[in-house]
This record gives sequence, structure tokens and C-alpha cells, in this order.
Amino acid sequence: MKRSRIPLIVAVICFVFLYLPIIVLVINSFNGSRFGSVWGGFSLKWYARLFSDREVWFSLRNTLIIAVSATALSVVLGTLAAFALHRYKTRLQVLHYTLIYTPLVVPDILMGMSLLLLFVSVAMPLGLFTILLAHVTFCISYVAMVVLARLQDFDWSLMMAASDLGAGPWTSFRRVLLPLIMPGIVSGGLLAFTLSLDDFVITFFVAGPGSATLPIQIYSMIRHGSPPMINALSTLLLVFTFTMVWTSQRLMRRTT
Amino acid sequence: MEEFLVFDKVSKSFGDVQALKNVSLSVKKGEIFSLLGPSGCGKTTLLRVAAGFERPDSGRVYLDGEDITDIPPNRRKVNTIFQNYALFPHMSVWENIAFGLKVAGMPGARITEEVNRMLALVHMEDQARKKPDQISGGQKQRVAIARALINKPRVLLLDEPLAALDLKLRQRMIIELDSIHDEVGITFLFVTHDQGEAMSLSDQIAVMNEGNVEQVGTPVQIYEAPVSSFSAAFIGDANFFEGMVSRVEGADYSRLSIEGFPEVLCFNDQPRSQGDLVYLSVRPEKVRISRDRPRDDERVNMVEGAVEDVIYLGSHTRYWVRVDQYRLAVTRQHQRFQLDEKPVTWGDSVWLSWHADDGFMLQRYEEKDEDLLAFLPEGEE
Amino acid sequence: MREWLTSLPSFIWLTILFVIPTVLVFAVALKPADPFGGVGAGWTLDTFRDLGDPNYPAIVWRTLWMSVVATAVCLAAALPFAYYIARSDERLRPVLLMAVVIPFWTNFLIRIFAWKVLLHPEGLVKRLLVSFHLVSPDVSLMYNEGAVLMVLIYTYLPFAVLPIYAASEKFDFRLIEAARDLGCRKWRAFYSVFLPGISRGLWTAALVVFVPALGSYVIPDIMGGPASEMIGNKIAQRVFVDRNLPHASALSALLTIVVVLPMIVYLLRRGTGESGKHPVVEAGP
Repeated sequence: MKRSRIPLIVAVICFVFLYLPIIVLVINSFNGSRFGSVWGGFSLKWYARLFSDREVWFSLRNTLIIAVSATALSVVLGTLAAFALHRYKTRLQVLHYTLIYTPLVVPDILMGMSLLLLFVSVAMPLGLFTILLAHVTFCISYVAMVVLARLQDFDWSLMMAASDLGAGPWTSFRRVLLPLIMPGIVSGGLLAFTLSLDDFVITFFVAGPGSATLPIQIYSMIRHGSPPMINALSTLLLVFTFTMVWTSQRLMRRTT
Repeated sequence: MEEFLVFDKVSKSFGDVQALKNVSLSVKKGEIFSLLGPSGCGKTTLLRVAAGFERPDSGRVYLDGEDITDIPPNRRKVNTIFQNYALFPHMSVWENIAFGLKVAGMPGARITEEVNRMLALVHMEDQARKKPDQISGGQKQRVAIARALINKPRVLLLDEPLAALDLKLRQRMIIELDSIHDEVGITFLFVTHDQGEAMSLSDQIAVMNEGNVEQVGTPVQIYEAPVSSFSAAFIGDANFFEGMVSRVEGADYSRLSIEGFPEVLCFNDQPRSQGDLVYLSVRPEKVRISRDRPRDDERVNMVEGAVEDVIYLGSHTRYWVRVDQYRLAVTRQHQRFQLDEKPVTWGDSVWLSWHADDGFMLQRYEEKDEDLLAFLPEGEE
Repeated sequence: MREWLTSLPSFIWLTILFVIPTVLVFAVALKPADPFGGVGAGWTLDTFRDLGDPNYPAIVWRTLWMSVVATAVCLAAALPFAYYIARSDERLRPVLLMAVVIPFWTNFLIRIFAWKVLLHPEGLVKRLLVSFHLVSPDVSLMYNEGAVLMVLIYTYLPFAVLPIYAASEKFDFRLIEAARDLGCRKWRAFYSVFLPGISRGLWTAALVVFVPALGSYVIPDIMGGPASEMIGNKIAQRVFVDRNLPHASALSALLTIVVVLPMIVYLLRRGTGESGKHPVVEAGP
């Protein structure tokens, strides 16, 4: 049967559409000229300037502190939640599932706004801590969903086999269940880490003075700063994203 | 031999479904005991009760005289081969087999020794480093056997262990299982829905249906002398005729009247009396088909019929023959000399005959027998 | 007991930091503002009455139609795109998929910035268009509804591709052959067999583009001008510029109501099952 050419054409257009801006950005980061439309020769000066910018380093530090702690907390909370959701089929879990699922589809701005109101109404000073609370809140749902998917693929007869072979509940959990759902927990963690690293809107609402994260720094650079430096920063982040996506895909493929 | 694994009046329900209804069975030491029945008959539940994965609602389970009903699975000296093998995907073949011993805290050197011995038993020495997804179905099966046997269980439970294999491999594994059984001498409790597997492996078979044990016996007893219409129909094919005992001839034989048939002689496997309502059952391969009237013999029943269908099946041919209201299945093996005969074909008028000892009677009650209707031979209208 | 032990931590966390704040939005919307940027005492309906200001219906309307257009374009492009990936060679598929996932995971400020660079008066697109005499040099490509729409589509296209791809990959393409065999013409087979077969993926794609588009704030903020503001911009303005929390809350409450409606439609249409997974979960990082 002859296949239509339309899907191929659309696919090519979509890829060009998706990548053209990114490629222009990367090329410009090596452009010696200040203006994107003129090629001023290959240069690394924007990278050099970026590395000597103290604000960028400071915001990167904030971002990492928050991303690491938000990941740790949300992995624990999300994994526990996934276990409860998978193991029990009670009315409580229907409610629990709704509670976990809804944040996934609420627009960021609403979550940022509502958290801001909460912090204002209990007079909690805005800063790294409020950002952390906000990040954990949206990361729990993602971790729970990823781990839940892994649990749904888990063959529970393996647990029976372990206990049949003499393993007690704790041994079965540690030697069979945990190693097998670990890839789910790890990729849930990576997801949480990436989301926390990337979040701008919610962070913007609950950030206080001195707690700028990297996305907030980028935003203020876009509004007021020098475009070539953003190009350089973006290129670095792109490389980082690419490595993350690539490793996690490798990780998932090897273990499934 | 003494009774080794005993189920005493075991019942188990899941919600409204009664999976086991007061089941009592005893398995002798060292034998291969099969639980045979259609899906949903309770055979797997009974196995899981033996393994400790299900707690019976009532009744007890004894192993070698000890009540094990309340002992959790990890502390029972029984091991299971799961239907999908349940090999741990993150462990190598070697680690899978060693699992039970490691959990039991055996020292490393002895584990190595034991695992190597088991690998040799199942001929998997070269595959020890591989992961379960790198080996074939038959090899997985062997790993599962080794993993269970290494713990020296007193009973090995096998839950449809051959269901996932293709026909050729299944036949080979049956032989292998049998030889492993001979070698280790452990009691096997084997769950299957495949009568062929049960017939070829078992010392004893329990035929189960809807949570009840219908019959326990050796394969020959079950096949040749089923005690219920369910066993008769589930194990092999059978033709059934509604009849009534018209005359009892001594202790051994009865004469039956069946609509559309001349008087039929049948062996009494239990005492019968005149007027008993019975089903006469005759297996297709016991009926001879011929163009000519067979020689008279007082022990051989004969009836004339018309061939309605002929299905050539390679090793044998299945005929469907109309006799009055009945449509009989008849099987004939092919033998060299028969190829020269003029073959029997559609519309031919033929003689059917069977020896009185090859028929068996089953009690018939007034109402229609549902089991029978569900298990008529394939191809029946 | 175990159930409580494993459920309670996330349950309590989300109740305090998700449910209560959402309720607060509606509560604060009924409060008066105090002049110091806080929330005054007593209850009032004034804030909601202010939403009757002729400014707002126009903004709500713009938010709605831009989201609808963005969703429609994303679906229209994602459908053949995802179909192409699902039908491509098995060895090529992970590569193509990864090529979709990478922009998806690229920081979204960077993606917006990339377009700002392109559409900039000195940018590549503008210069190309001018040199081909397609636009006059004084036309601005930025700070209008078109630019906002373009970046909305750019941002959410991968969101639409992933669920449609997931559904198409599971679709049994022999069904199309069967339909053709039964006398269907190509297009007929496509819309009466393929589309219903992947409908869950389509609904998920529509939801995950439409709902975030309704809540857009950064995209119109950077790419748009005063004539292309959306509800999100107004909320942010009320918070960061006017420091009028009750007003921002009232707008958020309004947005919440607008968002809940498509979600209900979605939940009714989707039924249960897993091919409706959120694309972020589906894509992994």
C-alpha cells in the first residue's frame, strides 16, 4: 500500500520549527559580534563573561540547593504515595490519586499564586525555604506517577517466589522489589530534579529578595541584560539537558 | 507408603465465589500427583493453599503429620514452580538459583557447591552468568526447577509449569521432569488443565470441577473407568447415550435399552439393578467402523449408521456417524494394510461395533446434565 | 495501618500546600485590599464586581481564543508528526523520539528567548522576510498576538506530540489495512479507524496544551505587548506591580473556573486507562 507523503513533510517541517531557533541560539553564543545578525567571528568571550558573572554563580548555587533538597524530599514522599496508590484500592486512595493527579494539570501561575497567598497569610518570609516547599509540592506528583507506572509493570509473583524460597517480607522487599523498581525511583528523581531546575513561574511568585534561582536570573537577563550572555548560558543548559535526557533514556532502556 | 501431604476438608471463598468446597485429598510420599481440571475449578487455589499463599477459610493442611495451615510460605518446606516461572529479572541464573540458600544464610562456599550441582542436574552449566531475559523458555523452566529444588523441599508444587512452552518443548520437558523426579525422589504436586500432561506424568490424578474433587485415581482408572460424566467428558472424548438398565446379567454385565439401538451389553463397574437410569459412554477410539457387518460375538455390540463427516487428522481419521438421534464420534488409527481398502466416506452406510468391556455406565438423573452438555466432543452439533 | 503510614505524608503535604492554598484563592478574592499590599479585614464582593470592567472580558476572550488556536494548530501538526514517528523504522524511532523530547526538556525561558532573537527587528527571520520583500522593514514581528501565538505553539507542540505518539505506537496498524480491505478509501480509513483508535491520546494532547495555554504568563509577557495580554499577565501585574492580592485572587479564581471546565470534559471523555498519561511522565527526563 502506498503511504501518504504528508506525515513525512509535516515531520520535517516540525523538526525544522523545533530546532531552528535553538540552533541559531547556539551559533550566536560563539558569535564575536554583539548583534545576532552579523557574524563577528568565532569567539568564546561570552562564555568567559558568563563565568565571571557573580550573580549567575549565586543563582546557580541557589538553584542547586533547592533542586537537590526538593528531589530528595519529593522522592521519599512520592515513592511512599505510589506504594499506597498501588497497594490499596480503597476510597481513600481514590481521593489520594485525585490529590496527586490534579497538580499535574493545574497551570503554574495558579499554583504560584495560591502558594504565595498561603505564605503571605501565615506571614512566612519568602525565600529559599518557600521555594523549596513549592518545588516539593509539584514534584511529588511527578515522582509518584513515574514510580506508580513502574509498580504497575512489576510482576507480583516475584514477591511470592521470594517468600516461597524462604525470604521474609523485609528480605523480599530489599532483594527483589526495591532493586526492580529502583529505575522508576531514579527516573522519578531525575524528573523532579529537572523540573525543579527549570521552574520559573511558581518560583517567581514565591521567591524573596536574595533567593533568585537560575531561571529567575535568566528572566531578568532577558528583560534587561545582554543577549549574547544568555546565548552562552542557554547553550550550556542545552548541553546539560541533552546529557540528562540521553543518560536517563540509556538508564531506562538498560533496565526494562 | 504413608500419606504425606494431606488436605483435610479445605474450603476457600473469594467474595461470592467458592473456589474450594470441602476438599480432602492425600498425596503419598514420592509420587507425582496431578490436579487436573478446567480453569476456575479450584486446582490453582488448592496449590496456593499448599504453598501458603492462601489461607483456607476452614480445614487444615498437614505435611508429614505436621499441621502447616498457619505457617507462612517462607517457613514451609515446600517450593513452587510458578506458571510464568517468576525468575528474578535483575539476577543472573546463578543468583536466582542461589537465592533460597543465601536467604537461609548458608556459607558461600557451600552455596557455590550446591548451585553447581543443581546447574548440572538441569544441564545449565554454561548459562549460569546469563540473565533470565537472555535464555529461552525451556531454559527458564529449568532454572525455575533448579531454584526450587536446591532448597530440598519436601513437596515441589508445579503450577501449570509447561503452559508457556510450545508443543515440542512441552513434550521434551515432560520427559525431563519425569527423569528429574526419578533422580530427586521428591513428592510433586502438579497443577494442569492438560490431560495429556497429567496422563503422561502422574502416579495419581485428582480431577477437579467447580471446587470439588470429582475423582482420584491412576491415569488408567480415570480414563477407563470415570465415575462421573464430568471426568468422562473432560478426560478424552466420549460419546454419551441415554439409556436404562433393562436386565442385569450376573454380576458382571447389564443389558441396556437405548432409543434407536439394539439392546446393548455393558460391563458393570458397580452393581446395577433393573430400571436404573444411566448414560452409556463409549470413547471414540474404542468404536470400530467397517463397511461389512463384523462377525457375531456375544460380547460385541453392533449398530448400523450413516457417515456424515470425515475429518482426516494425519495420525488418525475422525468419523461422525448418524445413528437415529445420535451423532457418534469414531476414531480410527491408520495402519498400513487399511490404505488398500476402499476408504469409508460421506454418506456410506457403515457398521459400528464395540466390546461390552469398553463401554461404561454413569448414573443419570432426571434433569439434564450440564457438565455433559458443556463437554461434548468437538464438532458436535 | 500501613496504608495510613504510606499515604499520610503526601496526603498531608498536598492538603496543606495544594488544597488549602487553592481554597485561599477563593477566600482572598472575597476580601478587600488594604493599601499596604496586604489583605484587609471583612468580606466584600467588590473585587469580583471590578472584573466587570470592560478590560477584562476582552482579555478573557483573547486568552480563550488564543488557547483554542494554539491547541488546534498543535494537534493538527502533532497528529501527522506523531504518526510519522510511530510508523518509522524501529531503529530510527528512539532517535526521532529523543529529538522531540530534547526541546521539551529545554528550559522554557530559553525557548522563548530563542524566538525573541529570531523575531527581533535585527533577527534572522525578519531580515529574511524583508530581503524577500514579504514584509516591509517597518513591520514589527514582535509584541503582537501573532508572536505570542507562535511561541505558544512552539512551546506546547512537543506536549501534544508525546501522548499522540504513545497512543499511535500502541495502535494496531493492521486495522487500517483491514478497513482498506473492506473497501474504505484512505481518508475514510484514517478518520473512521485510526482517529477513534487513538482518541485517548488526542484528548490528552488537547488537555495538556489547552490548560497550560490558558494559564500562560511568561510567553505573552516577553513576546507580547499591551494589546496581547492574557489573564496570566493580569494576575502577575496585580501581584508584582499593584500589590493587590485580592484582585489577583479574583482573577485566579476566574482562571481556575475556566481551567476546571475543560478538565471535566477531558475526564469524561478519557475514561480510565493508561494511554492518558501526562506527557511529562511519559517522556521521562
